[in-house]
Amino acid sequence: MAGSKAPGLAAGIALAVLTATASAQAPGPFLKEQVKLGADIYERNCAPCHGPRMLDSQVPVDLRKFPPEQKDRFITSVTKGKNQMPPWGGLFKPEEIEAIWAYVMVGEKQ
Amino acid sequence: MRKLVWSLVFFFAASITASAQTAQELLRDGNGGSTDNVLTYGMGYHQQRYSPLTQINRKTVKRLVPVWSVSLANEFGEQGQPLVYNGVLYAANVKRVVAVEAATGKQLWMTPLEWDAAVARVVCCGLSNRGIALYEGKVFVASLDAFIRALDAKTGKELWKTKVAEWKDGYSITSAPTVANGVLMTGMTGGEYGVRGFVAGYDPETGKELWRRFMTAGPGEKAYETWPKDDAYLRGGASTWITGSYDPELDLTYWGTSNGGPWTAVPRPGDNLWVASVVAMRPRTGEIVWHYQWTPAETYDFDGNNENLLADIVVGGTKRKVLIHADRNGFLYTLDRASGKLLAANPYVKVNWAERIDLATGRPVETEVARKLRAGEKVEVQPRWTGGKNWMPMAFNPKKGRIYLPMLEETSVYQLNKDLPVYKAGERYMGVTNTTADRKPGEPWGYLGALDPLTAKPAWRVPLMEFPSWSGMLSTAGGLVFSGLPTGEFLALDEDTGKVLWQFRTGSGVNAQPITYTINGRQYVSVLSGLGGGTSSRRGTTGKVQPGGSVWTFALMAD
Repeated sequence: MAGSKAPGLAAGIALAVLTATASAQAPGPFLKEQVKLGADIYERNCAPCHGPRMLDSQVPVDLRKFPPEQKDRFITSVTKGKNQMPPWGGLFKPEEIEAIWAYVMVGEKQ
Repeated sequence: MRKLVWSLVFFFAASITASAQTAQELLRDGNGGSTDNVLTYGMGYHQQRYSPLTQINRKTVKRLVPVWSVSLANEFGEQGQPLVYNGVLYAANVKRVVAVEAATGKQLWMTPLEWDAAVARVVCCGLSNRGIALYEGKVFVASLDAFIRALDAKTGKELWKTKVAEWKDGYSITSAPTVANGVLMTGMTGGEYGVRGFVAGYDPETGKELWRRFMTAGPGEKAYETWPKDDAYLRGGASTWITGSYDPELDLTYWGTSNGGPWTAVPRPGDNLWVASVVAMRPRTGEIVWHYQWTPAETYDFDGNNENLLADIVVGGTKRKVLIHADRNGFLYTLDRASGKLLAANPYVKVNWAERIDLATGRPVETEVARKLRAGEKVEVQPRWTGGKNWMPMAFNPKKGRIYLPMLEETSVYQLNKDLPVYKAGERYMGVTNTTADRKPGEPWGYLGALDPLTAKPAWRVPLMEFPSWSGMLSTAGGLVFSGLPTGEFLALDEDTGKVLWQFRTGSGVNAQPITYTINGRQYVSVLSGLGGGTSSRRGTTGKVQPGGSVWTFALMAD
């Protein structure tokens, strides 16, 4: 990601992908309860590094821009850990990690 | 008392071999002992982080150059303070302990610290190890998964390993251990996970636990009156994540305690001793001799752990043995360290939760902001929960009578949740919604500054516009103050003006604790570089500063 223009370009591509997938293969549908459960787990366990409501992130990942088509990567990263993120598979059941996915996909989108 | 201390010193000195590092050397570290060694966290039991060395000074510092650097192969961040003994520099981070030749950087040994990656779930605010202790030929180190180990100082081989606490219940250790009056002590962390804080004492020879002093009072203790008559004290926080200082003449060790658990004080009405306090303990037994509570009924995440610096200064015309502490809550305190009596308390950054500290009662006079907060309203609080100063230690120059410290000025948006948190072992136990208020354009993140400990009046303050500083400070008789920046610069400032006289960009952010020492008459300065160790220290740096740990050592360029 060298060069000053690269981040803006990447963000542009990510946005385009999100828009495309939103119409073609939108993630979900998610149940309201599922999103609420994900939000609760997120607030308690994830917000300290990824920021309250995914804002003010203290790590180099912006979850609001997580690619919807990369659910497998998300689930694997949360379950097994990645870089400085610990593995959460020992603490949360698979359906709870699914709930975090639901929250990250739609929980903070208007 | 002095006679007793020296009798003990003689006893310990006589019982070990001459080549091992001794109790007497510990007592003299930063206190008239050899400048060839740095043996204690804080460069002396008093934690003044002051050196009488003058070779590197205001005039010569322009010739300061790096003489070696070694990688620590760690992306989690470096907050540690190295120690130096007999020409060997020992450094630690969360992944390993290394011993290198202090003059050349040549590695002598490396011992890994292994822990389950899942431990990171119970470390609230960044994976860190702030250092080690040395005593009688052993290197003592605590690991993130709440074990303490003794390593052979010559080989790095593990001699014993003792479990301090169960990480799955939210306990971990990020602080350096210390040895005082022959007892190895460690604190712990976990204030965000409903732990019960404690300091524990161990036999340095065997690792056997000698005592454990809990920092929340339980049934049968007088201080239990400050807790509700239930079991809230068992999850009440008061962790002890910064190494205590020690006064050998008084035989008291001073430890700060963290925020209460949960963050919201609603389910734990009362002052909650000894949360957000300093406790003075006997290192032989863990007995609490006195305490002072910085923030009664703490609900702001104002940990009171930061260093309790010991100095002898003139107060009201009389030289007093004092303890100086810049709390997260924004007030700079001076206490009589024999009795715990409050002598002075003044705000050193913007504070809006309390008007002042009442010198007669020793208690803060809370403002309307605090009243609204406690009533459940969303309010803006200054300082932000990360404090006017966080863990990064200040330095004290006894000749100038000044402290040198990094200061943070931010505002939080803070609200106690309506729903009380439910305790689950090993998970966060908070009950608060907290975010950061936008900074106004042109306002600094904070300052590097020199303050009068009794008035908090600055001799100078250098505003920090790009990022705040999360680095410790080092003061020297050469008229210099060393510190660092998240962008990697290691700095030497003029102690009288704050002017940057020298800087060098290391490989990553500097958020650690510089030291200085001599080898064969040459003065060296060493510091760890490696952004992180605290999540807050990385805020705003994403993509701008790369992580990666290393040790850097500097000396004056030879003619």
